Amino acid sequence: MENLTLQETRSTPAIHFDATNGILEISGESYPENSYEFYKPILSWIARFTAHYKGPIVLNCTIHYLNTGSTKSMMDVFDLLEDHYQQGGDISVQWHCDRDNDRAVETAEEFMEDVTFTFTIKHLADM
Amino acid sequence: MEQNDLYNLRQIVNERGVLISFAGPFSHGIIEEIGQAITRYLESETLTKAYLMDVFSVYIEQAQNVCKYADKMMKEGNTDCDFNHGIVTIGKNDGHHVVCAGNFLRKSDVPPLTAKLDALRNLDGEELKALYKQQLRKERKPGEGGGLGLIDMSRKSALPLEYKVRSINKSYSFFSLCATL
Repeated sequence: MENLTLQETRSTPAIHFDATNGILEISGESYPENSYEFYKPILSWIARFTAHYKGPIVLNCTIHYLNTGSTKSMMDVFDLLEDHYQQGGDISVQWHCDRDNDRAVETAEEFMEDVTFTFTIKHLADM
Repeated sequence: MEQNDLYNLRQIVNERGVLISFAGPFSHGIIEEIGQAITRYLESETLTKAYLMDVFSVYIEQAQNVCKYADKMMKEGNTDCDFNHGIVTIGKNDGHHVVCAGNFLRKSDVPPLTAKLDALRNLDGEELKALYKQQLRKERKPGEGGGLGLIDMSRKSALPLEYKVRSINKSYSFFSLCATL
């Protein structure tokens, strides 16, 4: 399967999904003009990838800011990963954020509440 | 000539405590540019990172809403370009930052919107979070934002969202929405 790569713009994150090793990276800001359209190919890639990939999948997110449309799409991403996990897939998410930004930490915690796979909040300064 | 003298306009803007404003045809590129200007401006003040992010995110939700209504106007074949324009202001009042947006909308769109806002003003933080999570799980139609914007703005505001509706003609009203952080 092909990798998925999208370049970062001011309002959309960089995407580097590696189909050979299962490491998926999302980094940048996310407030696209149309979040539904922006995340559509991302969701479809994850759905196709999780359907056949047997190894561990690690999603690394370093998103400084998400608008509400992107938050909803990110929840869709986590729902796909949750389905895969429920069917025996090996999933972990590492969410990187700034410890000094209570709001960024809260956003991460609210995602964490809604999933049962390993979801780790990492503080950027600790890296 | 009166219209060449922008001093009066500037006075009105200053008296209202507006720091940054844009009025005209919104585009995604304009939203990004103003967003950067706001971030730079706020970084010069001593604010927490969380507060700065809240002001930025309320601005984004407000501006993207204005864009959404303008698109709707265009799709409905509205040729009066003024109706496709909006206004967004970021100001300061009694130590609070205030982010306001104004746009035209169809009169039939007003009651559902004001009903939603009236319901939101009676909810506390926990209730807003529960509603947010419920909305997060709802299916959305292609092209729609997801219906979280007003709930999210309410969660980030220190006071309930305030709105004003002004009738323009028999079909359209002008809607103003202010969030105080």
